[in-house]
Amino acid sequence: MVLYAFYIFDRHTECIYSRRWTPRPVSSSGKNARPQSGSSITSNGDTAAVGRRGMSQSDDEKLIFGLVFSLRNMVQKLGGEDDTFLSYRTGEYKLHYYETPTRMKFVMLTDTKQNNLRPYLHQIWANLYVEYVVKNPLAPVEHPGGVAVANEMFEAGLEAFIVAVLPA
Amino acid sequence: MSKLSSNDFLILAGSFHGMHAITKQLCPVPLTPANPSGNAAILAPTPFGSRPTGIEVLESSHFRMQCFQTLTGTKFLLFTEPQQPNIDSMMKKIYELYADYVMKNPFYTVEMPIRCEKFDRGLDGFVKVRS
Repeated sequence: MVLYAFYIFDRHTECIYSRRWTPRPVSSSGKNARPQSGSSITSNGDTAAVGRRGMSQSDDEKLIFGLVFSLRNMVQKLGGEDDTFLSYRTGEYKLHYYETPTRMKFVMLTDTKQNNLRPYLHQIWANLYVEYVVKNPLAPVEHPGGVAVANEMFEAGLEAFIVAVLPA
Repeated sequence: MSKLSSNDFLILAGSFHGMHAITKQLCPVPLTPANPSGNAAILAPTPFGSRPTGIEVLESSHFRMQCFQTLTGTKFLLFTEPQQPNIDSMMKKIYELYADYVMKNPFYTVEMPIRCEKFDRGLDGFVKVRS
């Protein structure tokens, strides 16, 4: 299985931890290899590629937060208050979502063949985040700008967890 | 599923359209060309390069939503139970019904709400046979 990225958002919409295992697709070769016919019909895809290139890591985080926030609201509107958004899949990747009772959001991007990762995201929260970040006496209560989340223990624990639980 | 007013449906449809576009943008992998075989050069170059698809399946704890986008951009959303099997074939069948009873209806104006009795009946019959 392939992991693409992992994000933690706090309840103030801020991304307090992010990790990518794949390089950002700055300019995919597929776009350049395409025949440059210059017809109007290709312009749509090309502008999308240009827009993609101009985007930074933090733009990605904001987009993902906005997306899961709206999806969560949509799911609650359609399925009732006790419904929870679990995951979505596109042709290229799958996004898994877990929200703690304190409105912290854990988001994981994987390949499409992966089953639901919600139990694993719950474990990351319970066994790693709570242990190494919340129980850290030096860490602040809130984490503006991701302060004290990416400490050595948490990083190592996350790495070990992913290797142990989600074998390649 | 909760009952929604048509205004709510418009809001949801609008926001879903935006979210669909964002999911396309977020694609973390470089796209593989649509024609991986060696004879791609022989075929006429297609103006539609390989593009990421948006949301295809959305899962929640109470339902599962399948999104099917036609080549012209019309989106079909099918809400089912989380364990419903072979949704793809159901979607194809509904697309057929749509093509037969909506698009071939001379009184239907494109991009307007669908009010075709035969389509409604066909859809009802199809769903009843299934359940």
